Amino acid sequence: MVISDVGFEVKRGKFVSVIGPSGCGKSTLIQMAAGLLKPSVGMVFHHDREVTSVNRTIGFVPQQAQLLPWKTMIENIEFPLLLRGMTLAERRAKAMEAIKRVDLAGFESHYPYQLSGGMQKRASIARMLVYKPDTILMDEPFGALDAQTRMVMQHDLQTMLATEGASVLFVTHDITEAVLLSDSVVVLSRRPARVIAEIPIDLPRPRDMFEPYATPGFAEAYDRVWSVFRSELNIRRAA
Amino acid sequence: MSDQMTLTSLRAPSPKRIWAPVCRALLLAAPGVTLLCFWQFASGRLIRETYVSKPTEIAWRLIDLFYTGEIWPSLRVTGEELVLSYVIGVLLGLLLGYALGRSPRAASIFEPYVMAFYGIPKIALAPLFVIWFGIGIWSKVMLAGTMVFFLVFYNVFAGVRSVDRDVVNLALVLGANERQLGRQIYLPAAAPFLLLGMRMAIPYAVIGVIVGEFTSSTAGLGLFINYASSTYDPAGVFAGIFILLAFVMGMNALANRLERKLLKWQPTSQRIASEPN
Repeated sequence: MVISDVGFEVKRGKFVSVIGPSGCGKSTLIQMAAGLLKPSVGMVFHHDREVTSVNRTIGFVPQQAQLLPWKTMIENIEFPLLLRGMTLAERRAKAMEAIKRVDLAGFESHYPYQLSGGMQKRASIARMLVYKPDTILMDEPFGALDAQTRMVMQHDLQTMLATEGASVLFVTHDITEAVLLSDSVVVLSRRPARVIAEIPIDLPRPRDMFEPYATPGFAEAYDRVWSVFRSELNIRRAA
Repeated sequence: MSDQMTLTSLRAPSPKRIWAPVCRALLLAAPGVTLLCFWQFASGRLIRETYVSKPTEIAWRLIDLFYTGEIWPSLRVTGEELVLSYVIGVLLGLLLGYALGRSPRAASIFEPYVMAFYGIPKIALAPLFVIWFGIGIWSKVMLAGTMVFFLVFYNVFAGVRSVDRDVVNLALVLGANERQLGRQIYLPAAAPFLLLGMRMAIPYAVIGVIVGEFTSSTAGLGLFINYASSTYDPAGVFAGIFILLAFVMGMNALANRLERKLLKWQPTSQRIASEPN
């Protein structure tokens, strides 16, 4: 068993992070939320309807950018629209809009291997934004990026979401990231995962991703999450 | 933007760029030219000419064969057999490889059987094929076609199976249905494998057809070579072999162009097969 007792909700328009020790089942959780895995016991709801098969109305940003290598950047971003049977002209217009939002204009006809890690990640976010989902699942999206790129991406994500109004479920193992981005942080225990705390973060927005401690109240919020999270790590060390 | 860098077109024209292809062509030709020169020199001096003929003799024979038109009927028959066996083998290999790759249950049942058949040396079946399919072109088409089929089948099968589950999941979340999964994910992912199989199959098609014609036939380049060989005519044998060589090299060049066109999305260092051409 990977997950034992996990119950929480993401309110409309809110950003909720899930953190937990590595291997605690965070990815399993998000796959269940997307309807890719079925919980053996329990249920997942989206807009008060139970998720029983793959949920095509959500936006999904995987750990790796996972652009299709045989498609150019713009074709990758158009992909969800292509699957929805949209005409080429419509697709191009919407994709161009999304490309501008993630600041990738000028690289439309590049293949993924010609893009840097950060650019691939931006494209992967644009591919999600292009069909305007009202719920977004992100599975450690910035984990594989270098520190500077990650800060830039966190900053840009905050800016993008400010105008989007979407609900976000964000999985990470980085406390700073969780505190800076979220309205609420859910802390999971080690495997089998339980919710050990749900901590509201009511820091003013926009928050400074480059100098977290410049945001008033950040240190206190970080401490509240860390004090809970630390207990999980201590148990592990003792064991 | 600090994280954006591409290394696609940092090319400045320089004298090196102009001379590099010429030097490369010369280097490429050098071993072949050396070999031909040595052959020409050794023939009649180190080895008896009746054993190995010599390049000038072979060149004259080739000119003669094409000028008199003596070779055309053989070329036509062998060409027909090659095209038919290759097309049939590739199509069936693609279809079955894709079908079995997409259905793990069928694959788990049929894979051992296909593997067993794959292991049979097809050449050993050549006489049987003549009994089954006659002395005409079909015994050769079937023999070469079987060899082509297995190569393409295995590569396409492996290609379809290599598709990452995460990519399929992502496509599902993004809205793909079964048909779109095939068209948008599985087929493009298998394309490099298909092209590799098709390239590997070229010489095998030639081997299958020529062996088939050696075994028993009424016309074709294999028969021509066989006849030349049994009448102590080395120039004829080598002339036939040079025609086959030219054919294989031409097909390879075509395959290269097709690969460059279809696989331009792959970084050059990652291409499964890329030969200088």
